[in-house]
Amino acid sequence: MSDTPAVSVNHLTKVFKGGLGKGAFRAVHDLSIEVKAGEVYGLIGPNGSGKSTTMKVILGLLKPTEGDTSIFGVPSTEVASRHSVGFLPENPYFYKHLTGRETLHFYGSLCGMRGEKLKSRASEMLALTGLEDAAARRVGGYSKGMLQRLGLAQALIHEPRLLVLDEPTAGVDPSGSRIIRDLIIEFRSRGITVLVTSHLLEQMQEVCDRVGIMARGRMVREGRLEDLIAVENQTEMVLENASPALLAKIHELVKSEGGDTRLLRSGHPRTTLERLFIEATNEAKKP
Amino acid sequence: MTQDSPSSAAASAAPVRFSPRRVWTLAYATMTQLMRMKILPFLLVFCALVALIGVGGSSVVNPEQQLSSFKSMSLGVLQIFSIVFGIVATALLLPKDLEDRTLYTILSKPVPRFDYVLGKLLGVLMLIASGLVIIDAVLSLILWTQQSGLYDAYLFQLHQTKQDTPEAIAQVREIVARQGLTWNLHWAVWAIFLKASVVTTVALLLSCLASSTLFTIVITFCVTIIGHGEALIREFVFQPHLGSTTKRIATLVLAAICPDLAQFDIVDSVANGEIVPWAAVYDMTGIAALYMTVYLFITHLVFVEKEL
Repeated sequence: MSDTPAVSVNHLTKVFKGGLGKGAFRAVHDLSIEVKAGEVYGLIGPNGSGKSTTMKVILGLLKPTEGDTSIFGVPSTEVASRHSVGFLPENPYFYKHLTGRETLHFYGSLCGMRGEKLKSRASEMLALTGLEDAAARRVGGYSKGMLQRLGLAQALIHEPRLLVLDEPTAGVDPSGSRIIRDLIIEFRSRGITVLVTSHLLEQMQEVCDRVGIMARGRMVREGRLEDLIAVENQTEMVLENASPALLAKIHELVKSEGGDTRLLRSGHPRTTLERLFIEATNEAKKP
Repeated sequence: MTQDSPSSAAASAAPVRFSPRRVWTLAYATMTQLMRMKILPFLLVFCALVALIGVGGSSVVNPEQQLSSFKSMSLGVLQIFSIVFGIVATALLLPKDLEDRTLYTILSKPVPRFDYVLGKLLGVLMLIASGLVIIDAVLSLILWTQQSGLYDAYLFQLHQTKQDTPEAIAQVREIVARQGLTWNLHWAVWAIFLKASVVTTVALLLSCLASSTLFTIVITFCVTIIGHGEALIREFVFQPHLGSTTKRIATLVLAAICPDLAQFDIVDSVANGEIVPWAAVYDMTGIAALYMTVYLFITHLVFVEKEL
């Protein structure tokens, strides 16, 4: 990987002019981010915190009021910067009259792809996103999860080095959401940088290497996920097939240690509701 | 899958130029999108209506008047149809792409905004052109059938009243040939297309400026109405005794903004059987090209700065 950051945001400020009788609205204030090539960076924050505005500036859809942004060193204001980026907007819609495959051909053609290369790339993306069976169906009949996956496929059609995903799992059922998160992990393993926004924090925790937390247009916390969420003065130990006697011994040992050491809790770890849901629904699918 | 290779890095820095292929992709998608909005059935209903007019008015009173009124009515309806379609379709397209976020997925690809705007315009114009070609063919067929029928019927009438002198027959033949199917009909359809194209380009410009579809439609209709009265406006501007200087300057600005659509009004001449000279066709085409270039350039300037 090169040293050039995949995304560079330098002192970005974005002010929207107000309408008649309304004041201007500052959506982003002096924001600086650097997303390294190959990492999954999560931009999280409550609604209206400036995440989507930041993404739009990065993609050149909005112009910064102050500061600048670039993609792999190319300023976002240049159309050329879009060679390296694929974008999945929140709740994407596509031309309903096109089939899934035609949609990918359409976006591929816009990127200058043609002929066999385009066809094979579209097939590859349909396979990657699990839409092969629905490739000949009109997009108008796709479910929300399928639309999101088609959105991912179109974002990847021109082999970008950076993926920008705005709320990729919003409104998608747990199984669909699981597939999308697995795809994000897959993209990272293939060397694709991912910049993702969401307010589904548990899901972000699972896929992100680094996160930035935004509030009221400012970056309030940023760093490696492990560093940010680690509780420094606590240690977790998970035992398998431990006998009650062993557990009692451990309790005694902790008591005898004295000082500040305390056993805060012990018991059976629980699976997540999401994992339970996926297991149950997968079982139901089996003949 | 993508790797960080030197070649890809070089490709990413290469400037993105205007691409006719990309414009065609967008135009074709726009055309199919509009086709899906049930435009074709509407077109077929229109054709059926025109056919009914043609068939319904087949009683022989005066062949000249009959052919003239058929052309006048059908071309008039065609003109209204093409203008209304151009305005409404264009006013709907951009807001719909924005609402569906299709615009985001398109413009986040290496697609210059000018290519997008031009693709949308061409898509609408291609559909208008296709519709007009179909209707032109239908009109030609009806007119040809009607002129043959009318000629025979009128000759029969002359024969019955014992007025079928060689001079009278020659006169009827001349009238029917002049008022029947000639190139003039196609030039009239071409003029209708040019007018619709100019109005559609104005609608595209207004659509980029406004956020409301209704606003775009209403203002474009206003511009179209004003555009048909440019001659009156010019008369007002250049007659000092007709109004104050401020009023005349305001009118001049209005005249400069709105296209002179009366330049394309040859439907009445064609309906009256007048010959449309080639020079007039060249002039109309040139004027339309000029208007469209100017409006498209302004549209580009507006859209390139538009915050999405």
